[in-house]
Amino acid sequence: MSNPSETGMVDPRIFEELQNKIDEDAEVREQIRAIVQTLERQGRSAQSILSRAHSTPAAHLKPVLAAAEVAIKEEVASIKSLSDVASSSPYYKYNGLWTRDVQNVIFSILLCGWLGGMAHNDKAAEAGRLLTIEDVGEILNVPVNLKDRDAFHISIEEYLQSLITLIEELARLAVNSVTLGDYQRPLQISQFVKDIHAGFQILNLKNDSLRRRSDSIKYNVKKIEDIVYDLSLRNLVSKS
Amino acid sequence: MSGLSITSHPQSKSESMSEQMPGVKRHHDGAEKEKEVNANASPFMPMFEAFRDELDEHHDRRERIIKASRDITAASKKMHYIFPPKSVTNRVRTLKSDIPAKIASETAERYTAMQKQFSAIAPDLTGINAWRYQRQISGGIQEYMEAVSFEHYLRHQALITISEAAGTLQGGIELTGDDYVLGLFDLVGELMRFAITTMATTGSLPGGGGDEKRDILVDLRELRTCFQALDTGSCGGTGLGKDVEKKMEVMKTCVEKVESVVYGLIIRGRERPKGWVPGIADDRGVVESY
Repeated sequence: MSNPSETGMVDPRIFEELQNKIDEDAEVREQIRAIVQTLERQGRSAQSILSRAHSTPAAHLKPVLAAAEVAIKEEVASIKSLSDVASSSPYYKYNGLWTRDVQNVIFSILLCGWLGGMAHNDKAAEAGRLLTIEDVGEILNVPVNLKDRDAFHISIEEYLQSLITLIEELARLAVNSVTLGDYQRPLQISQFVKDIHAGFQILNLKNDSLRRRSDSIKYNVKKIEDIVYDLSLRNLVSKS
Repeated sequence: MSGLSITSHPQSKSESMSEQMPGVKRHHDGAEKEKEVNANASPFMPMFEAFRDELDEHHDRRERIIKASRDITAASKKMHYIFPPKSVTNRVRTLKSDIPAKIASETAERYTAMQKQFSAIAPDLTGINAWRYQRQISGGIQEYMEAVSFEHYLRHQALITISEAAGTLQGGIELTGDDYVLGLFDLVGELMRFAITTMATTGSLPGGGGDEKRDILVDLRELRTCFQALDTGSCGGTGLGKDVEKKMEVMKTCVEKVESVVYGLIIRGRERPKGWVPGIADDRGVVESY
C-alpha cells in the first residue's frame, strides 16, 4: 500500500491514454469547427445573392448567377480544407459537425444550377435543370456516396435534404415569378417539383429527419399547383 | 387538388407507384410500347430508384445492428446475474481465484451468445460504416464492456485495459474510447453489488484477506479518483460529455454505498466482534478495520 500506483487496481497508463484520446478528439473538433464557421458565413452570403432571383426577371439573371458562382467558388475552397482535415478521421465520427453547412452549400449549387448557372466540365448551363449528386460532387471536387473507403464525401442523405430545400425555395419563386409578370415559370416549376415529388414517393423513408422534412414536399406541390390553377383560371397561361 | 397526395401512408403509396412502373410497358400483343407512354413519368425516376436501394440497404443494416445491440445487452445483463452469489455452494466471493466451474460454463455460454451477435453484424460495421452506426451499437458494446471488465476484475483484481478489451471483440468491431470509459462507469455499479452481497453473506469485504493487501473498497476508491481526474470538459457538446456527467453521479453514489455498508460492518463489529457468542468472556482486542 506504500505505493498504490504500482500495486493498485488501475494501471495508470489506462487513464493517461484515455485523457490523450479525449484531448486529441477535442483538437480535431476544434479544427473542424473553425472551418465550418467560415463555411456558415460563406453560405449566408451565397444565399443572400441567390435570393435576388426572387426579384429579378429571368432575362436579367446573368449578373446574379455570376455573383452567386463567385460566392460558391469560395465555399468550394472551404469544402476543400474541410475535406483535408476531416479525411484523417473516420467520416461518420464528426460528420454531424458539418452536415448542415454542407447541405447549405449543396442547396446553393442546386438552386444556382436550376436558375441556369453552374456550367461545369463541358456541361452547359440550362435553366430548369437538376444537378445530380455526381454533378455536385464534380463541382465541389469531392467524392459522393463513398462506400469502399473512408474519406470525406457527399452523402445521399445530404443531397436529398438539399433537394427538399430547393423545392421550398422554388415554391417561393413560383409566387414571385407571377409578381414579376412571368407566367410561364410557375408551369416549369410545377412540372419539375412534381417530378421530384414522384421520386421521393418511391423512397422507403424511416422515421428520421429526411422523412420528417420530406413530408413538407406535398404542401409545396400544392402551393405551386394553386398558383398554376390561379393562372389557368384567368387564362394567363397558354394551353399547350 | 388533383395529383396532390396528402396521405399518412407513404409506404403503401410507394408500392402502388412502383406497380405502375414495371420495367417495360408492352402492348397486349407483347410488342414494347413506345416511350411516349411513359412521357408523364418523372425523368428523375432512375436516380431515385438508385437512392431507394441505397437507403433500404442502410436501414436494413441499421435495424440488424439495433437488434444485435439489444440481444447483446440482454445476454450481458443475464451474465451480471450469474456472477453475484446465487447459492451458497456456487458463489463467487473471492478475488483472483478461479471461478466455480458451473458459473464459468454459464458465463462462457453467454459470451458465445454475445460473440455470435457481434460476428453477425461485424460485416455491417466495417470500413466507413464502423462509425456510422455508432449510436446504434454503442449501448451493446458498453454492456459487453461492463461484463468483460467485471469478469476480468474477478479473475485478476485489476482493471482491463482498452486493448485487452478490444482484443476480445469479434470480427474487428471497433471499441471506441468513449464506449470503454462508459462501460467502466457501469462496472462500478457491478462491483458495488458484488461487494455488498459478499459482505451480507460472509461478513467481510471481498479481497483484502491473506497476503492480498487490497480489498474491493480500495479499488473502488482508486477507480473513483481516476474517473474524477478525467477531464471531459472539451467534449461538452458530444455524447460522451453528457453521458459522463450522468454516470459520474451514479458512480459516486455506488462507491459511497459500499463505504457506508463497510462503516455499518465496523460499527456492528464493535458491538458484536467476529466470533462473539454470549457468555464467553469479553475479548475485544481485535477489531476489523478497512
